[in-house]
Amino acid sequence: MKRRVPVGLATLCAFALVATACGSSSKSATTNTTNSTPAAGAKDTASLSGAGSTFVQSMLQEWIKQYGKVAPGVSINYQGVGSGAGIQQLTAKTVDIAGSDVGLKPEEQAATGGPGAVVTVPWVAGGIAVEYNLAQVKTLKLSPDTLADIFSGKIAKWDDAAIKAENSGVSLPSTGIQVVHRSDGSGTTQVFTSYLKAAAAPGLWDYPTDKDWHAPAGTGAKGSDGVTAAVKQADGAIGYAEVSFPKQSSLGTATIKNNGGQFVGPTASAVTAAIGDATPKDDGTLTLNYTPTSPTAYPISTTSYLMFYKDGDPTKTVALKHFAQWVLTDGQKLAEGLDYAPLPQSILTPAMAAVSG
Amino acid sequence: MTGSVPERNGGSVPERNGGSVPERNGETVLDAPLPPDTEPPSLLSGKGRLRRSQAVAAAAVGVVVAAIAFALTPLQGRADFLLVGWIFGTIAYLVAAGRIEGRRSVVDRLAGVFMVTAVVVCLIALGSVLIYTVVRGAKALSLDFFTHSMKGVGPRDTTGGAYHAIIGTLQEVLLASLISVPAGLLVAIYLTEYGTGPLAKAISTMVDVMVGIPSVIAGLFIYAFWVLALHQGFSGFAASLALSILMLPIVVRSAEEMIKLVPASLREASYALGIPRWRTLLRVVLPTASAGITTGVMLAVARVTGETAPLLLTSFGFDSTRTNPFSGPEESLPLFVFRQASSAFDTAIDRAWAAALTLIIVVVALTVAARLLTLRNQLKS
Amino acid sequence: MNVGTVETPTPERPANAGRSARKKVGDRVFQALTTTVGVAVLVVLTVITVFLFVKAWPALRSARLGFFTETKWFPDTDPPAFGVAALLWGTLLSSVIALMIAVPVAIGSALYTTEYAPAVVGRWLGYLIDLLAAVPSVVYGFWGVMFLVPRMIPLQQWLAHHLGFIPLFHDPDNLFGKSMFAASVVLALMVLPIVAAITREVFRQVPRDMREAALALGATRWEMIRTAVLPASRSGIFGAIVLGLGRALGETIAIALVLAATFDINLNILKPGGNTIAANVATKFGDAGSLGRSALVASGLVLFAITLAATLAARGVIRRTGRAAAGLA
Repeated sequence: MKRRVPVGLATLCAFALVATACGSSSKSATTNTTNSTPAAGAKDTASLSGAGSTFVQSMLQEWIKQYGKVAPGVSINYQGVGSGAGIQQLTAKTVDIAGSDVGLKPEEQAATGGPGAVVTVPWVAGGIAVEYNLAQVKTLKLSPDTLADIFSGKIAKWDDAAIKAENSGVSLPSTGIQVVHRSDGSGTTQVFTSYLKAAAAPGLWDYPTDKDWHAPAGTGAKGSDGVTAAVKQADGAIGYAEVSFPKQSSLGTATIKNNGGQFVGPTASAVTAAIGDATPKDDGTLTLNYTPTSPTAYPISTTSYLMFYKDGDPTKTVALKHFAQWVLTDGQKLAEGLDYAPLPQSILTPAMAAVSG
Repeated sequence: MTGSVPERNGGSVPERNGGSVPERNGETVLDAPLPPDTEPPSLLSGKGRLRRSQAVAAAAVGVVVAAIAFALTPLQGRADFLLVGWIFGTIAYLVAAGRIEGRRSVVDRLAGVFMVTAVVVCLIALGSVLIYTVVRGAKALSLDFFTHSMKGVGPRDTTGGAYHAIIGTLQEVLLASLISVPAGLLVAIYLTEYGTGPLAKAISTMVDVMVGIPSVIAGLFIYAFWVLALHQGFSGFAASLALSILMLPIVVRSAEEMIKLVPASLREASYALGIPRWRTLLRVVLPTASAGITTGVMLAVARVTGETAPLLLTSFGFDSTRTNPFSGPEESLPLFVFRQASSAFDTAIDRAWAAALTLIIVVVALTVAARLLTLRNQLKS
Repeated sequence: MNVGTVETPTPERPANAGRSARKKVGDRVFQALTTTVGVAVLVVLTVITVFLFVKAWPALRSARLGFFTETKWFPDTDPPAFGVAALLWGTLLSSVIALMIAVPVAIGSALYTTEYAPAVVGRWLGYLIDLLAAVPSVVYGFWGVMFLVPRMIPLQQWLAHHLGFIPLFHDPDNLFGKSMFAASVVLALMVLPIVAAITREVFRQVPRDMREAALALGATRWEMIRTAVLPASRSGIFGAIVLGLGRALGETIAIALVLAATFDINLNILKPGGNTIAANVATKFGDAGSLGRSALVASGLVLFAITLAATLAARGVIRRTGRAAAGLA
């Protein structure tokens, strides 16, 4: 009559102990810190935590990885929890950095200690691509009006006269159009619907511009990955997602007619050009112009913002400022490689001043 | 497929007694013993008995008819052929059975075909899930995958692994076990040894209710109570609390069963020696029931290890190793799968499948271990 | 499960042996300890349920009765408009379809493993089918999206073309994919091992003599099952179905991944769309504002109420199906 109750538990226990003891938390490969001149922050040591927008998450992963070579003493953790939750955590001071696709609301600003207490600067730009799945159609041109009609369900077939008119020479099938939108609340949805409202003829897009999708047409999918997977699986489907998603899944992306009358795809330079038309606001955010005048601009472009306390913990703030400066200079060069877009110089200069001040 | 329909003899059900039982509906009553080399006649109608070779031949004819149909008509497609071939084969097999054995046999064999089909459907489903996961998961599976976290891993990197997630899962499951196993045991002891009256009934009802609680509700419980109302934030411990809600009823029920199975003679011998009831419980009853209880605990652990929804609401997910599960969001294997798979980059998708494979292996290993323990236990007794 | 359960001794302690005061104290302490833990678990769960109400209250107060009639889900807009009507419909519909697929297959496989296959084969087949329960729901979800949904499109097309006259199978303008039907099939796979394992146990408990009696009367194997095994197992099968239903109602991640989320009440199960309470919690949770979170908790409360009702309805039966249920549910 041996006692055998604890065997399973003890094994588990031992496992946990051994495992926790042996693996030093992470040995991320690459340790070559040869090139590049020692940048600002090389001597900082700090552990920074951040949370917020999922839009910037891939970019931040790369920044954190590369910044680790510049300032080995600084470790940064970022949680893609959504912009709203990121701001909540910043106001609760449980994180040092918030990433957000929108500025602080007045009540949030009050909660952080009034205007100016939190530094807000744009840190990267990105395009939102219109992705589609039509086997025979390699290029697709769409005007904002047509786009609004497609996503509101008024245009139901791919060989609709409006689409044909914009794509002369392309043989469009009579397949039905299956609209896919985000089912979770998302800044991407907000930007996309804001664009439709601003750029399409008045009355064509009458739905609220919100994180949630309000138009009746289409079906939802969770996350940009879900939207992209759904588009990829269904012939005749169309959706919207950050550029990296259609690119990685080799889906076609539509070129969109901008205010200069040109059909432009979501390339990094086209996104940068569009952000150049945005106007800075007092709180550090930008008023995006969804009808940019530049003929090379891709109109469905957006930025994400970095937020941190101006007078937080001194050591952390120093390290944070150095990180922000690096992001706004060297960090921008990494954007295009991950299907984001660098900010234009007209935006970077004031941002740099705001961060350093 | 139809060829695999088993002969009616064999199996766990006792053999029917050859030709000496009278036919119920009484057409023919067989009394005379048969020559040993003939097939025993069917009891169904007194006609013949469908031999295995005949059954296979009939099914084959059906499949051939289906093949001809596919050659001559617009029918096409591999899956369609399997389906149509299966239907035709079954029909031919049943017709043969009907001709030789009579109508009641057709019903009997139809039921047999249905049951075999059900098993085959189960096995195909299991096979396709497992094979797909193994094929997709093997790509990113390496030693590095188990020794590296996702800290400082860029989106396009093929490096990075699930080390932090494995640690998180271990911590959370361990903590959940530490909460639910002692509590579950004590509740089970209360219910079997002391519980009488309305209180015991209430507790017993609650355990039944807990068996039926969906995992997402367990997550919402802890989310509303621990995270929102008590402002404790996301943490591995919050996840453990949610998981222990799911584990507790399993532990209670299995412990209860096992304690009840301990022979009364053992207790009585202990009482006779003047050993008080509580010491008898701890020294005699629980050790005797321990193997069974351990099985129950392992099944409970297997059950909660793969849970995703309650973790999403309570521990949220994290990219590096969390040594202290009591503060801050934490990764675990199911969350790792969920989060990595939501990336645009193939490297992350590969990691997600590798983690999914790891998770399945862990859960299957726990389940198999629990089974083996039960078997060993049965052999002993 | 052993049928010959040994009776527990009565709570009275044996009155032989000289009882010292110490023993009495020890017993009292131990009894108090177990009782306390039992009561504590009861209290903690009650408190937690109360907090579920507390956190759901702002949403319920804001939406009032509209919470049960509104189909849309916009709790964080101004003015908020949200309700569980569409979610409830989707939850019930997907669960019912999943059970309709899973239960016959599960019972068929359980009958095969207990009544048809040789004992050893049956046992191993049982283990294999149980492994379906070892696959985590997140894996079912991704497997469903990447493997199953594309492969189900031909079947859905076939259904729409040949059975399209039935409202359930109306042709959704040739748009197929992440439909209620596809989600229900994934759900069915997750319910299957639960129902199969419990019914297998139930069939095994049917006394041997009943089977032998039927066979001795000249019944075929199927007639034996129909007249002896199934009637004796009726309540056990019911309990298995209810536990399967509980699993189906509450499945979250797999549905969130497989179902194309829309907020409408639709009888056409081939049309991509629909949503369930649990899946909606998983998708909307990340970016929800304060009223949004409250609304999600409130929707969880509705789901809790449904599963509670189902469990209590089947309570006696579930107790008897015992450990198999607990191990796999």
